[in-house]
Amino acid sequence: MIEVKNVKKNYGRKQVLKGLSFTAEKGEITCLIGVNGVGKTTIMKAIMALTPINSGEILIDGEKIRKESFEKITFIPDTITMLPQMKICEAFAFMADFYKNWNFQRAEELLQFFKLDPTERIANLSKGNTAKVNMLLGLALDADYLLMDEPFSGIDIFSREQITEVFTSHLIEERGVIITTHEISDIEHLIDKAVLIDNGEVIKEFSVEEMRENEGKSVVDIMWEVYQR
Amino acid sequence: MKNYLKLVNFEVSRFFKFYLILIGLTTFSQLIGSIIISQVYMKNAKQVMAEQQFSMKQYIEKYGTFSFYQFQQSEWFLLPIFLCIAMLMIYVFFIWYRDWFGKNTFIYRLLMLPTERITIYFAKLTAIMLLVLGLIALQIVLILIEKQIVNSIIPIDFQSSFSIYDKNSLEMWGWLYPNTFSDFILIYGVGLLLVAVLFTAILIERSYGLKGIFGAILYGLLSLGVFFVPIFLANFYTNYFYPLEIFLLELVACITVLGSAIWYANHLLKHKIRV
Repeated sequence: MIEVKNVKKNYGRKQVLKGLSFTAEKGEITCLIGVNGVGKTTIMKAIMALTPINSGEILIDGEKIRKESFEKITFIPDTITMLPQMKICEAFAFMADFYKNWNFQRAEELLQFFKLDPTERIANLSKGNTAKVNMLLGLALDADYLLMDEPFSGIDIFSREQITEVFTSHLIEERGVIITTHEISDIEHLIDKAVLIDNGEVIKEFSVEEMRENEGKSVVDIMWEVYQR
Repeated sequence: MKNYLKLVNFEVSRFFKFYLILIGLTTFSQLIGSIIISQVYMKNAKQVMAEQQFSMKQYIEKYGTFSFYQFQQSEWFLLPIFLCIAMLMIYVFFIWYRDWFGKNTFIYRLLMLPTERITIYFAKLTAIMLLVLGLIALQIVLILIEKQIVNSIIPIDFQSSFSIYDKNSLEMWGWLYPNTFSDFILIYGVGLLLVAVLFTAILIERSYGLKGIFGAILYGLLSLGVFFVPIFLANFYTNYFYPLEIFLLELVACITVLGSAIWYANHLLKHKIRV
């Protein structure tokens, strides 16, 4: 389980996260929802120790992040994390070199699934294909937790559908996923838990299925209620 | 350790194409230069001897011998060296900043590797040192080849004796080609120290943004201050310290500066770095 406990973060004088807390379970897709600039990416980066927090605590399976954690948790940001001059196959080799949990078989499978050419240079890929490579690099790791930051941002409808398919496949099963988006409609049917964030705070955290069953409300309905108050 | 070596290899490979260009330019410029300078000297010598009916001895008495040092002072020899020094100095900064800026956000990947983050710092530091030492080794080999080229064009009687360690050469290149192993350790140790401090200063800037620029400058000045304390002491209290005492003080100062640079870089990479 990923536990974010009372995390506060300032950028200069501006407080971006104001004591934000939530949990994300393994085997569930947790979606952080909020408008742009609300602090979603900052939380992701804070979980991965890519930005310092002012106070609070972040635990992954009860432990603070350390070097071994990066075999257990992986982050797929909205920008490519490999050198543009690298070929896709070279990026694979790099990952295999450094990560014990790099799953070559799965990488090949994903390559076929996304219809990517391994000899293609990353710099020459379209935006959609770059996003797919980025996702592939994260998904091909046998990690317990996946963090995805705006995976659909600026991507064409066909690539979007392919990426959405990933969420219903065995590639995600058993893993804990935290995904951020401000376009909830694409993945509403896929998520298990929604965490609504506004102004650096969690304003509602709920199980999507329970909400649907008990109150007959979708995530979008709740968003209307919460954000239009 | 394995990850460190992989990262060193990776960092060197990233610069390798450009490095080959630097090697090519230096080799081309210096070899062509040694031929041109030697030929020009011989052409002039022959012309003067023919016009003034001089023997070789008379010519040498009047105009002096050719020294390899003359070639070493030419643009053919110096410009590529200065270019290499300038490029490597720029690369000390670029080796970090290129991972943050533009389309390239490779720093995400580097910081998410399942290895101690300080390994990235050590790998980049080692890469810079290897690149520097590689160019110095190339220069030593080139000087030996250039000497052969000069010998093949200018008869030995026209030349004054030369060693890369001779008096003139030593003054000019002593810092580049140390005379003894202890000098080598001293000079390149200080070079390593300087790069380590610059790397930590870059990480301060990367961790604290605009405030970090002032922090980095302050940190740089402080490190420089600690480094120069024994030298100031030696100058201020003339004849008070034995040379060995000054050496030991300087050693302590260097270890303090290097140790604190590594410790602080480790702290920043672990707890303060921002992507």
